[in-house]
Amino acid sequence: MSRFRLANIVLYGVLSLWSIFVLLPLLWMVLASFKTRREIFTNPLGLPGTLNFDSFARAWRVGVPQFMINSAIVTVLSVALIVFAAGMAAYVLARAESRWMQAIYLLLVAGFAVPPTAVLVPLFQMVSAAGFLNSHLAIVLPYAAYGIPFTTVLFYAFFLDFPRELEDAARLDGCNQLQVLFLVIVPLSGPAVASAAIFQAVFIWNEFPLALLMLTQPEMKTLPVGILQLQGTYASDWPAVMAGLAVATLPILAVFVFSQKYFVRSLAGLGK
Amino acid sequence: MLQQQALDIPAGATELRSAAARRGIGQPLTSALMLAPALLLCGVFIFVPASLAIVGSFFSFGLTSQAWVWNGVGNYAEALADPIFWLALRNNVIIVLGSIVLQVGMGTVLAAILDRGIPSGRTFFRTIIFAPMVISAVAVALIWLIILDPNIGMLNSIVKAIGLTPPSRGWLGDPSVSIWMVLVVAAWQYTGFMMVLILAGLQGIPNDLYEAASIDGARGLTAFWHITLPSIRNVLLVAVLITTIGGFKVFDFIYVLTQGGPANATQVLGTYVYLQAFNLQNMGYANAIAVVLLAIAVVLGWLQLKASRRAS
Repeated sequence: MSRFRLANIVLYGVLSLWSIFVLLPLLWMVLASFKTRREIFTNPLGLPGTLNFDSFARAWRVGVPQFMINSAIVTVLSVALIVFAAGMAAYVLARAESRWMQAIYLLLVAGFAVPPTAVLVPLFQMVSAAGFLNSHLAIVLPYAAYGIPFTTVLFYAFFLDFPRELEDAARLDGCNQLQVLFLVIVPLSGPAVASAAIFQAVFIWNEFPLALLMLTQPEMKTLPVGILQLQGTYASDWPAVMAGLAVATLPILAVFVFSQKYFVRSLAGLGK
Repeated sequence: MLQQQALDIPAGATELRSAAARRGIGQPLTSALMLAPALLLCGVFIFVPASLAIVGSFFSFGLTSQAWVWNGVGNYAEALADPIFWLALRNNVIIVLGSIVLQVGMGTVLAAILDRGIPSGRTFFRTIIFAPMVISAVAVALIWLIILDPNIGMLNSIVKAIGLTPPSRGWLGDPSVSIWMVLVVAAWQYTGFMMVLILAGLQGIPNDLYEAASIDGARGLTAFWHITLPSIRNVLLVAVLITTIGGFKVFDFIYVLTQGGPANATQVLGTYVYLQAFNLQNMGYANAIAVVLLAIAVVLGWLQLKASRRAS
């Protein structure tokens, strides 16, 4: 019995150590954001002397609210486009059997292999030649494109398992493919759509290299590029940078804690 | 990032397909219209730029210049002779190997403990350990930039408090230390993701296997070694491939933490493409390096597709 208890202590110990390793930087971020610029030098490890919200005000003035609005716009538009385009494509492909359709499916899947970082140069030149730089469209369309392959594969698998009887009934009532998809299948696909959408939303909310290249005007920047600007503006004002980071990261952590079922499901699906 | 690394082709797809086809879908125009948005977006923003990168890698041109000058394989020859290209490739390999050991290794240990090691608290620990995954890599890198700062950083204070001396040029300023710091930051963010991925594989192992082994006297570590690990071989392979692809594509951490420095000690292919293209205006040369990255990603992606098929 004592051996069992010892094993338990060791196993809980390993989990707790890694959890502390994960939590300490986040805790430190929150503490540092309440410190004054002097305190962070004289007392880097300790608690802040007073609860001081000045650094939040300074971070706010650099435009953190605007960055969040931009990120929200970009994320909502991109995810909607991905779900819409990948959903329609996956449905047609899952219900077709010609060699051509098979080839189209493989082509879409092959889009997975192309990392955006490897095509930064031509992508930038195309967007710049089209005059789209510093518009939300400049990143919404590429984000949608890079989200489509994975989402198509997810939906394709889901549609293959979808019961055909419901579709047949709708078709007898005179629905075409588009109507079958949106009137019959979509209303019954909540969890699949939610998992795919959440996965893409996290990726797009956090995307950095494309946004860095395409969005240089402060009022267009998304959160990852914007918080980097925060560091540039307040070179030695670490409390303000930490306050901006806290404002940027804590909401998404809260969203995660309350909807982690979907996060874990969509991410865990990758390995299977 | 991750999405390009994930592939999932369900087994038995082909049988279902033919059954679907027998019911007939005779609306080619509607089908074409429904396929159009996805094909158009992927064509314009994935396949056209990928082709342009390959074509452009045989030319010399600047960011703003319209003139492309034919350079044959000159850009590739330049890369072969460029010590920084090799240094960047070597750093990618270090990050890949280090991440496999840290993230997949620690992820497996943590997943195994969560799966069968503890009687309660599973969701609690899983939530905490997975949480960094949802934060942007830029924010993660900025938090760590300050933690590793030689003047105000938490790490220096801790190291001094236990009586050791931190590196005099700072954790990120010392070329022999900085790349290891990148590994620590990457492990902080992605180990939880590997844990969840592997945990999903572990939960698919039938309990009978453990019961049978327990009758034969195999419990704890013995069972882990002889039952758990062999059963999740394919999931582990997918985890290793995802980590490998991620390690070759790494950009955000390096860009924010070190900008490839000090003295290129943390330069990787992703940041080197960016440097050559947008800071030094060598677009053709940047394309050649990008094509190397693209080739690595395509080969690894193809391997991952094969591994995912076996894992499911």
